[in-house]
Amino acid sequence: MKKTCLALAITLVLTIFSVSAQAATASGTLTVTATVTGSINLIFNSDPSGVTLTGTGTSAATLAFGSVAAYGGCPAHVTCTPAGINFAVSSPVDVAVYEYNSSSANYTLKAALGTADATDTWAVGGVTITTTAATITATGAYTASGTGTNYPVQITIPYTVANGTNISNTIAYTATSN
Amino acid sequence: MKVHDIVCSLRWLALVPALLLPLSARGQLTATGTINATLINRNGIALVFDPDPSGVSLGGAGSSAASLNFGTIAAYGTLSSGVTRTNVGTNSFTVQTYFDVQVTQGGLNSNSYTLSARLAAAAPTGLGYGVDGVTLTTAAQNIQTNGTYNIDVQHSLSLVVSTAAPGAGGPTVGSPLTTTLNFTATSN
Repeated sequence: MKKTCLALAITLVLTIFSVSAQAATASGTLTVTATVTGSINLIFNSDPSGVTLTGTGTSAATLAFGSVAAYGGCPAHVTCTPAGINFAVSSPVDVAVYEYNSSSANYTLKAALGTADATDTWAVGGVTITTTAATITATGAYTASGTGTNYPVQITIPYTVANGTNISNTIAYTATSN
Repeated sequence: MKVHDIVCSLRWLALVPALLLPLSARGQLTATGTINATLINRNGIALVFDPDPSGVSLGGAGSSAASLNFGTIAAYGTLSSGVTRTNVGTNSFTVQTYFDVQVTQGGLNSNSYTLSARLAAAAPTGLGYGVDGVTLTTAAQNIQTNGTYNIDVQHSLSLVVSTAAPGAGGPTVGSPLTTTLNFTATSN
């Protein structure tokens, strides 16, 4: 009799305990939607043979040639080439274009001067540029590794330009996936 | 005054107290009854999703079946308000937003709850989902073990996107990709 009572008591206690210890749960669903679209990105890198860019690795860099002269005054990593009535200064600049979520085979690169320059002649990758975008390449290869493709920036300066003249402009690059 | 008149007046006066007696005291029938009302106070908790001030708006906000739309996302370019790009790498980029979970409880002797989450089904190709830094799979994983009841608790939702081209391990582009996340709150 005593054993039976004890067993019943234990069972009761266990039952109460199991009821009170039972955790309550609640659930919810969050439906998440996103639409992925392809993109490309262009950055400038310092070419090992060129002037070190300020802002290298970004899409807004500065190329400072320094003080240049047709003869005897060409800074390191700058090529100065005298000609008949002018001289050209040039430096390699690497342009890296990356593609993301894209099946594009290549890209078209265009460049344009920010402000018209009636005195000097500007060129990117051997292509003369003005304030109207000029195509630098129509089959640019996306950068898989390394610093990108070298498109030298060149300014042709007439000898008539006065000593100490500061030459400055902005070149806008645009890469478009093909 | 005659004796007869006096007797008659006294008779009428004797009726006055009877007229002034309350109605209930005049033999009306009454009946009484009792009703025993019972209820079982069932304890429980509830979970709802709320928009976070730092995140995107939710469809079905305030309910346990909400929807969250990152909008159009890309490694570069503009994102929807409330969506941030936290990392752009060679192989993937990550976008993130925030949402709130509020768990309420009643009748429980519980001070906190554990929140777990899982993917309802395998994620679309090239996408990975994470909540509060925990990468989600189809198996439930704990997100929080000491959630506070009755307040909105902020959680981050990250989406890791492969940068590979569609068909080469990357996600489908140009069309919405949807995944359902299941959350469970358990009282501690």
